[in-house]
Amino acid sequence: MSVSFKLAWRALRQNLLTTWIAIFTISLSGGLFMGAWKTKQSVKVAFAQSAGGFDAVLGARGSQLQLVLNALFHMENSPGNLAWEQYEAIQSHPGVSEAYPFALGDNYLGYRLVGTTSSLFAKHEWKPGKKYQVKSPGRIFSDSAKEALVGAQVAEEIGLKLGDKFHPYHGLEYNPDTKHEDVYLVVGILEGTGTPADQVIWIPLKGVQMMEGHDPAAANFISGVLLNLKGSSGLVLDVKYNKQGDRATLAWPVPAILSSFFNRFAWLERTVAALALLMALVGGLIILATLRSTMHERRREFAVLRCIGAGRSVVTGSIIWQSMLISLAGVIGSLLIYLFLSQVFSIVIRSQIGVNMGLPFLDNTILFTSLGILALGLISAWLPARKLYCSNLQESLNPHG
Amino acid sequence: MTLVAVQNLQKSYPSSEGGTEMIVNVSSFNLGEKDQLALQGSSGSGKTTFLHLLAGVLLPDSGQITFSGQGLHLMDESRRDQLRLNQIGYVFQSFNLLNGFSCLENLLLTMELKGKPDPEHAGSLLQAVGLGNRINYLPYQLSIGQQQRVAVARALVNRPKLVLADEPTGNLDPENTDRSLQLLRSLCEEWGSALVLVSHDPRVIAQFEKQIDWEEINHVKRTGSDMNNFSKRVEEVS
Repeated sequence: MSVSFKLAWRALRQNLLTTWIAIFTISLSGGLFMGAWKTKQSVKVAFAQSAGGFDAVLGARGSQLQLVLNALFHMENSPGNLAWEQYEAIQSHPGVSEAYPFALGDNYLGYRLVGTTSSLFAKHEWKPGKKYQVKSPGRIFSDSAKEALVGAQVAEEIGLKLGDKFHPYHGLEYNPDTKHEDVYLVVGILEGTGTPADQVIWIPLKGVQMMEGHDPAAANFISGVLLNLKGSSGLVLDVKYNKQGDRATLAWPVPAILSSFFNRFAWLERTVAALALLMALVGGLIILATLRSTMHERRREFAVLRCIGAGRSVVTGSIIWQSMLISLAGVIGSLLIYLFLSQVFSIVIRSQIGVNMGLPFLDNTILFTSLGILALGLISAWLPARKLYCSNLQESLNPHG
Repeated sequence: MTLVAVQNLQKSYPSSEGGTEMIVNVSSFNLGEKDQLALQGSSGSGKTTFLHLLAGVLLPDSGQITFSGQGLHLMDESRRDQLRLNQIGYVFQSFNLLNGFSCLENLLLTMELKGKPDPEHAGSLLQAVGLGNRINYLPYQLSIGQQQRVAVARALVNRPKLVLADEPTGNLDPENTDRSLQLLRSLCEEWGSALVLVSHDPRVIAQFEKQIDWEEINHVKRTGSDMNNFSKRVEEVS
């Protein structure tokens, strides 16, 4: 261990309170920045990966974004209904490889009931090579029975299990006064997918259409159609439904629509970036203030060291080490705070919208932020170190005695 | 054999009036190996500056200092640092031990600058100054007299050829003064180091066989008011 390092380490220990304040501030600044930045990125990626393996959604005339959020993320209200004929028409379109109708309108204790066909679970791959799996000994519901397939998160949160029976409630929000008379039997629990599919209860399409208390006319309507398209047929369908037609909206392509959703939060990104810069400035100033205050105390110590033979590089090196040790501890603290925040955000997002953000990952943003903190330490040390390097030894000792 | 030779040494500082003020003007000074010499002079008369010049901490405006035949004026800063590290020990009036370091660490750090930490040697030196049972004490846990003894041990730890002691007993009571002085002199003798001690205290000076009156060798003329102003400035700066 070099003398410079020892001097720096000892100086940090001698000024523990100041040192901890500096480390804490830098950790908080760096951690918040990493956390906010990475959460934004992770949410974006997680949303894109949680689209359930669909290219497009056909729904009532209205906002494409509302359609995507409603159909794939089970958020927002449905923009309206679509006639059954619309489903039949698009299902038979040569550019469509998969089409699954869905209907919304009921809930159980606040968890949405999504009516669809059993083929969604039998054929569709929600992720390349991955179909929905029903936990053994369960099975997929029958299209003509009052049976339910429960998403993994719902089962976990409200304890629904195989063989349980429940009454659905009308509407998308839970209201005890709106209980339907129909009774549904849980015939299967889905394996977790880390997508919003875990957050809903799946029942046969006819169940929603013909639920007791629903308008009998609703039996000919659905909320929308989940689609997978062949090749470039999206362009053709886009023209047909969005540009020429006026009865339905095709939300396509899903990633671009999600991207436009996140673009709405560009101001947040800019605010986070500005905040990060401000925090970096504060962090740098704190290191500088810490070094300046300890330098004032250590001025004589440095002069003594010079008198007993320490070169300029030894004493200036100790200032740089001191700053770098604070920065290094700041980087470690930032990473810990980042991991903690990521976990918190991940849990909140998972419980709110069912999107699994996955494990916090270390990539270039984290690497560059960490290097930035170290660079900040180096820059902050530069001024005091340079001043010390250039200072006259005589000034620090009794000069003319 | 001559260890230090000084010729026509001059050093000035900027004065408060805007010009320069000569502090040191020594035409000749010689110190033999293992010599022990006391320099007596009043406070603020330039003795410390002279020691700093001898140690290469300061460079003279003119004149030459040779150390073991090598001219300090021919050395760059890094070589002068090496000279101090390898050949010169320094004892300060206020001891200037490094506060965060124990007695032993104060000595080891000095050795480490040279690249050769030897805990055994450092320990034996602390033993020699009577602090063998306090090697892990921090400076603030020691009395003034004990701190001074650590400072003496630190000055000798790298086996220097020359020890410069600047008012080393200035903060000590008479009893500790005598003890420290005796210790410093005997250790220098034992380790074969020459000693230059500056003091304004006649009692300290009287204990040396070789004594030099600083005002006699330093040819700087000052009026009474000059001295007062100069002393004031020294107080301000220090």
